[in-house]
Amino acid sequence: MIIVNGSQRRQHAALFEQLYRLRHDVFIKGRGWSLPSSGGKEIDQYDTDEAIYFIDVGDNGLIEASVRATPSATASLLADYFPHLIENGEPARSPTIYECTRYIVRPAVKSRNANREAKAKLLAGMLEWALSQRLSFIQTVIDAATLSSFVEMTPKTIPLGLAHPYGGGRKVPGGGECLAIRWPVRPDVIADIREYGGWQQSSFPQAFSSSEHRAIA
Amino acid sequence: MSSTDDIYGQRTLDFVERLQRLTEYTEICRVISAELEWYGLNCVTVMSLPGPGRPDDDGFLMNTRPMDYIANYKEKHHLAIDPVVTELKRTAVPYSWQDVREKRPLNRPEKRIIDEGRDFGMRDGLIVPIVSLTGEQAVFSPCGENPDLSQRARSALELVGIYSHQVLKRALLKERRDQAVHTPLTAREREVLQWVAIGKSDDEIGDLLNISALTVKSHVEASKRKLDAFRRTYAVVQAIRFGEISL
Repeated sequence: MIIVNGSQRRQHAALFEQLYRLRHDVFIKGRGWSLPSSGGKEIDQYDTDEAIYFIDVGDNGLIEASVRATPSATASLLADYFPHLIENGEPARSPTIYECTRYIVRPAVKSRNANREAKAKLLAGMLEWALSQRLSFIQTVIDAATLSSFVEMTPKTIPLGLAHPYGGGRKVPGGGECLAIRWPVRPDVIADIREYGGWQQSSFPQAFSSSEHRAIA
Repeated sequence: MSSTDDIYGQRTLDFVERLQRLTEYTEICRVISAELEWYGLNCVTVMSLPGPGRPDDDGFLMNTRPMDYIANYKEKHHLAIDPVVTELKRTAVPYSWQDVREKRPLNRPEKRIIDEGRDFGMRDGLIVPIVSLTGEQAVFSPCGENPDLSQRARSALELVGIYSHQVLKRALLKERRDQAVHTPLTAREREVLQWVAIGKSDDEIGDLLNISALTVKSHVEASKRKLDAFRRTYAVVQAIRFGEISL
């Protein structure tokens, strides 16, 4: 798994080309979301130099999992479009909270186990990075139908409100219900997620111990 | 968009926070029941549904429906034809009993199940389907005489159900682990395992105890069975855990 920040887009041109196309396939074609796209690529206003991309590339060079984290202080889908999802009065933006979006898990091997492993590796990895950055929470807006899988990963998942309809609600294609959740950035939460995926070790062996990785954000 | 200045949101977030701090099974059940009472839901069943390798009476995580109701339900094998349960094959989002009744005309056996529920004061309820990533399917199924199943109440109860299921499951698992009982080892088995623990081979142990290597092996095998262990290293771990041997 690799971590690339938005300002390194040019050095990783081929990878980003693949990522934007994959996002188009998954979110626009697959889920029917109405997102801006051009030339078969999905790129939005949160793909800035400050964004951090967590990408797991398989042996064949294809992306198997990826997620984007943005500083909620300047780039928050929750604050911009879904503020009503927060029902406990907490502010959506904070310098110690990052927000993750465009979450993709597509392991080469299609099985429940492979899915679990890939999902856990990606999330545990992101939280490890967040811990190294001394962040307090990672927040995200999810489809309500996926909540139980996140709670299964760690029961410490914090809901920020109840589910609300989006895109016309559950009966409309491309619509559904969504809600906002947060994960506390703590070693016990990372341990929960690793255990869930059957991972004994870090998603980034030897990472975050060196100061080099501090420089990423 | 629905209003969020009502009480459902904050109430549910408080409930989840309280639940996340609990580890003790009966206390968890008490907190869940109390929360459901607020909606006029005085019974709840949380269960894993029968599937490959899971016999149906194994799946209760929590149940406050009357025992005679459950006994009757089981005896008549209602689970297979209960319209509220069979609807789970068609939908993955929460629905009420009333939704099922309105969706399609019910046949006579299906109506009878609903009438029987009514006799126990259960007139409507909500089904929250929960599918785990391991493929296990569970339901959170509260019901009552005249419960609040408004749209916001349903959204709240979906969250209540998902968290309750997970917290109950973890508490029961922990309880089972803590209570794991084993058949005590004999003095000779303990002695043999103690030597295994420090890395002696069967031949060496045989020499030390003046018995054959084959006898040593049979003691180890018996210990493995008693300690529910596939390998001898795990038998050693278990024996230490249960205080049979020490290092």
